[in-house]
Amino acid sequence: MNAHRLNAADRESSTRLRRIVSLVLFSLLPATLTISVSSCSSRKNSPVTSRTVTDELGRIVQVPAQPQRIVSLAPSITEILFALGVGDRVAGVTSYCDYPPAARQKTPVGDTLKPSVERIVALKADLVIISTASQVEASFRKLEELGIPVYVTNPRTIDGVVESIDKIGELIDARERALELTDELRRRITNVETRVAKASRPSVLVILGTEPLITAGAGSFINDLINRAGARSISAEEVADYPQYSIEAVVARQPEIILLQAGGNELIERLRQTPAARSNRVYHIDDDLLLRPGPRIVDGLEQLAAKFHPELFERDS
Amino acid sequence: MSVKELTHQIFSRERLTAQRLAITLAVLAMVLIAASVFSIAVGSEHVGFTNVIRVIGAEITGHAADVSAEQRIIIADIRLPRVLMAIVVGAALAVAGSAYQALLRNPLADPGILGISSGAALGAISATIFAESLPISRPVAAFGGAVITIAVVYAVGQGRRESGTVRLILGGVIINALLSSIVIFLVTSVAGARQRNVISWLIGDLSGESRLLLPVAVFVLIGIGAVYVNARSLNLMMIGEQDALTLGVEARRVKIAVYLAASLLTGAAVAVSGAIGFVGLIIPHAVRLVGGSDNRLVVPASALVGGIFLMLADTIARTAVAPRELNIGVITSLIGAPVFVYLLRRTN
Repeated sequence: MNAHRLNAADRESSTRLRRIVSLVLFSLLPATLTISVSSCSSRKNSPVTSRTVTDELGRIVQVPAQPQRIVSLAPSITEILFALGVGDRVAGVTSYCDYPPAARQKTPVGDTLKPSVERIVALKADLVIISTASQVEASFRKLEELGIPVYVTNPRTIDGVVESIDKIGELIDARERALELTDELRRRITNVETRVAKASRPSVLVILGTEPLITAGAGSFINDLINRAGARSISAEEVADYPQYSIEAVVARQPEIILLQAGGNELIERLRQTPAARSNRVYHIDDDLLLRPGPRIVDGLEQLAAKFHPELFERDS
Repeated sequence: MSVKELTHQIFSRERLTAQRLAITLAVLAMVLIAASVFSIAVGSEHVGFTNVIRVIGAEITGHAADVSAEQRIIIADIRLPRVLMAIVVGAALAVAGSAYQALLRNPLADPGILGISSGAALGAISATIFAESLPISRPVAAFGGAVITIAVVYAVGQGRRESGTVRLILGGVIINALLSSIVIFLVTSVAGARQRNVISWLIGDLSGESRLLLPVAVFVLIGIGAVYVNARSLNLMMIGEQDALTLGVEARRVKIAVYLAASLLTGAAVAVSGAIGFVGLIIPHAVRLVGGSDNRLVVPASALVGGIFLMLADTIARTAVAPRELNIGVITSLIGAPVFVYLLRRTN
């Protein structure tokens, strides 16, 4: 009985309540939506002299004829720009861009994963260059939305890096310097390859993460480097770029050489049943040289080849 | 009305009146607007409060604002859409949480705990990996994932009478664990070069594109509206489904409508921002603690408080280590977990 009375009273106040809330809700939100819609519509960005280029993902990008305020969103790209002698045209870099030392003087725009889009805008960037090796899609779509040209590089191999340098040279109007640089890099790569061509190819385990043990698969950059330096990776057949391996899988494959980043001594202790550990052929690698697809990758290649085939490179060291 | 009367109206857990509801929502709306202006004014680049007001005024009236082009872009094209997205996502998650809590008569229910966020995330991640070129595939797949997950959780949780609610939560926990494993499998073995995108998005991210703002806002409004019109029925069902039935509530229809609406809200939120935890759990709790548990208040107030909370959390994420950014999911968990423990202890 009581419940029924309550119910009726409730229903009455409920209609009133509903009306008021609907009013508040529906007046508040559409207002904010109009703002957002209008904010997306107006755009004013037409560089005086511009041209269209195709980037390494096949995207068509409209860029200034000679970009003056370039933002680099990868350490490798910063290295390329400085190697091309256009460091003075670099307006912003990531917090990881530490080479060459002059790069540290540039304005940081955040890390490679989540750069600050508003800082890039504040820097009046006229070109943003990113690398698929280290970039998140979301931020680059946002830049496109704002009308800032975004050029994407996609080097998958050491040859790809050299090509990338040529293309960036063209992009930023530094073609001659780029050709000079890439000729030199190609000459050094060929030099390494001719030296190791006839040598036997030792098996290599590259350790990119120790807990769990992460190594490199067929599509990875370092796999190509190991090949070109005259060795073969024990995980060269893996489909995933960075597969996880068990200790026993490694021991079963009996690598003759182990490459690892700083630390990892405990892991090596557990891998003592491998030819690499027994013959003391465990080498620490310099990530900056081997994992950054920039010009110093050839330094990395030469260092690797010297470690794989010390007998062939004795004269140099 | 004096400040004392005003606070008395808001901080009351007595019977809800139209006046109390209107005052509470009006105050929350004002806080939301003030917090929005504050959030837009701070960031890695300096823009003054006056410029924020000028640019927003110009956006509304259509006149040109007297500020530099860069400032205008930063305020109107970067921060404003992001703040609005945070409001929409926060409102969606908080209302979804309040809906599940009322439906299941369990204060622990939340899109995250029931596995619905994971379902939506799995849908969206699959779309990212397998159908990247279709731009609309992600929100659709997220909604699909949410709906399928709630159906499975519901089927698992279907039990004899009162045990049903507990079983539902347990079902959610188990489905959640299963879906998380599938997500980890996809991320570690299939995603390849897209791995980082997916991971960043798994812990939540609001920095994405603003073109999704409008459609998502429409979905979220529909979802909130659908939960709100059922608020009185939810009140009665909280007493018990059997009792609600005698009071003329079509429990089955209400349940299905609210489940679908809450899944829509979860799917929409997860599709644009990834899985952001704790909003759906703590916001309705906090609202009930202050204003009582009448869903006609809890639902709209949660929407506003959820929006305020997520916007401020995102502001911390944007500014704490500027110009770098933190993941917003990390911020909501760092704030949400201790607040939740506090709320739990208080209610005990």
